[in-house]
Amino acid sequence: MNETAESPTPVEQMIVSAARLIKNGSVLMVGTQWPVIVSLLAKSLHAPDIAICLEGGAVLNKIPDRVPFFTGDPVVNANCVLLGNSFDTLGTVLHGGKADMGLLSAASVDRHGNINTTCIGDYTSPKMRLAGSGGACDFGSLAPKTIIIVEHDRKRFPEKVDFITTPGYLSGKNSRTLAGLRPETGPHAVVTTLGLFHFDQEGEMILSAYHPSASVEDVRENVQWDLKVDDSVKPLEPPSEKELETLRYRIDPEGMYLRNARLLRGIQIAI
Amino acid sequence: MPEKEKLMSMSEAIERYVKNGDVLFLGGFVQQEPFAAAHEIIRQGKRDLTLSKSAGMSLADQMIGAGVIRHLITSFIWNPLPATAHCFVRSVTQQIPHRIEVEEYSLLALNLAYFAGSLDLPYIATKTMLGSGFDWEQNESGAKNRLRFEQSPFTGERVCLVPPIRHDVGIIQVQRSDPFGNAQAWGMLGENRYGLQSCERIIICAEEIVDTDIVMRDPNRTLVPGFRVHAVVEEPWGSHPHPMAGYYDMDWLYFAYYERETHTEELFQRFMKKWVYGVQDRKGYLRLLGAKRLEGLRPETFTSEPVSYGKLTRHFEV
Repeated sequence: MNETAESPTPVEQMIVSAARLIKNGSVLMVGTQWPVIVSLLAKSLHAPDIAICLEGGAVLNKIPDRVPFFTGDPVVNANCVLLGNSFDTLGTVLHGGKADMGLLSAASVDRHGNINTTCIGDYTSPKMRLAGSGGACDFGSLAPKTIIIVEHDRKRFPEKVDFITTPGYLSGKNSRTLAGLRPETGPHAVVTTLGLFHFDQEGEMILSAYHPSASVEDVRENVQWDLKVDDSVKPLEPPSEKELETLRYRIDPEGMYLRNARLLRGIQIAI
Repeated sequence: MPEKEKLMSMSEAIERYVKNGDVLFLGGFVQQEPFAAAHEIIRQGKRDLTLSKSAGMSLADQMIGAGVIRHLITSFIWNPLPATAHCFVRSVTQQIPHRIEVEEYSLLALNLAYFAGSLDLPYIATKTMLGSGFDWEQNESGAKNRLRFEQSPFTGERVCLVPPIRHDVGIIQVQRSDPFGNAQAWGMLGENRYGLQSCERIIICAEEIVDTDIVMRDPNRTLVPGFRVHAVVEEPWGSHPHPMAGYYDMDWLYFAYYERETHTEELFQRFMKKWVYGVQDRKGYLRLLGAKRLEGLRPETFTSEPVSYGKLTRHFEV
């Protein structure tokens, strides 16, 4: 990185922190939005031998020439070792117990790692309607370790989500296994623009590390319940030069994720 | 079985095979979306359809806004930018043009429902969706669905039972088909195979019509055999603004355009007047887009080596 390079943004810190949780050689189910860029960063650095499985039936094996907008981006087609049906990834890999980890984005996440991407307010007469599950509920139900990656905003962290699109530890303790979900599955970590969280024995979110420019108090103020804090809580390790350079110049030079260019705001379009 | 050619125009195929009140499967998992067919369904004023589509996207959004859908079976609906699918939201939150009933599944559960439908299974058991807001024994979300939650008779564990979903008619846009409906597709196939196989009637829309010999030299690529197909429509660019592997890219800017042009009901009507009601057919739509825009979506050719299945003539020499 040259002298004039800008310091890492909260989003870059979030992406790098999440990528570091991925072990080389693991089989990943990768959801849309942040998981795409997180898994590509891991693959280009410390985890070249991960399998990136996408819900539409793809096993991505290469860093594409353009960063996929989302998991169905047609650039995926010619960068895969397998391109088939959803059953080939969600089915035989995930449901078949061959995945190690699932990576998901979320609209909101609660105290027990339940995710809502369905509605704000009551399901039958919602204030706002969101996209729905896609494969997210399958990841959260079946993956041995789910990593949830989400931009931090107090509104996104209610004590209890309005609707459980994707099950975490439900109401905590043994409620997940009582519902019939497989043992040794469920949320492993939540990575945000403010910090990194894990889950304790009760299935409750606990702060493990915070963004270098934030404090434990900042994080506690930005969730809607009395957040538990790990005794060994510490600041997150900032991105290395190599991580930041790879992210900015190799994976997302167009700023599709890093500068939200894919939202196409402020672009005049006349068709 | 003697095969007959099934080539016809889009308007004839929709008129003959899509009836008011049908349960309609539209294929396409981001890629291979049958947009041309959906526009013709809207133009013909079909009513009270149940739309079954795993990846909602703007195609489902337009059909909801146009009022042709009564019931929606899906796993998600959004504008892939990502942005809001405005017609879907207006229908669910403001009853505009009317409130659709939504029957939601996770993507895997919906794939299983299509699989069960295509094999005519009574149900299929799975370990997904347990404990979610759709698990009505665990939650009081009010979400209505046809899932059941039971103990497995084999292991005693709690399982989710997914009902079979069958369709009256199914439509997909593919790369190529012969005139008999032996349809070949490549790219990200999602739920397409079993979604289509769970349909009574099938309409194939193809970028190109090819000889049966071309199909038979690479039969692994066939999505559905012709004997299951009722109509074949030659419809180049039929998936625009969504992509078709090897033929055209996603028209990314069109999604931002769609988002801006549909964020109020009034704007949506203007959009539809221009792009759907105001054109006679897909050719009219493509004229509006212009040749230059379409050419800009063509990808570079990127081929593998041809494969050979081997031509065999006899068992052995004596």
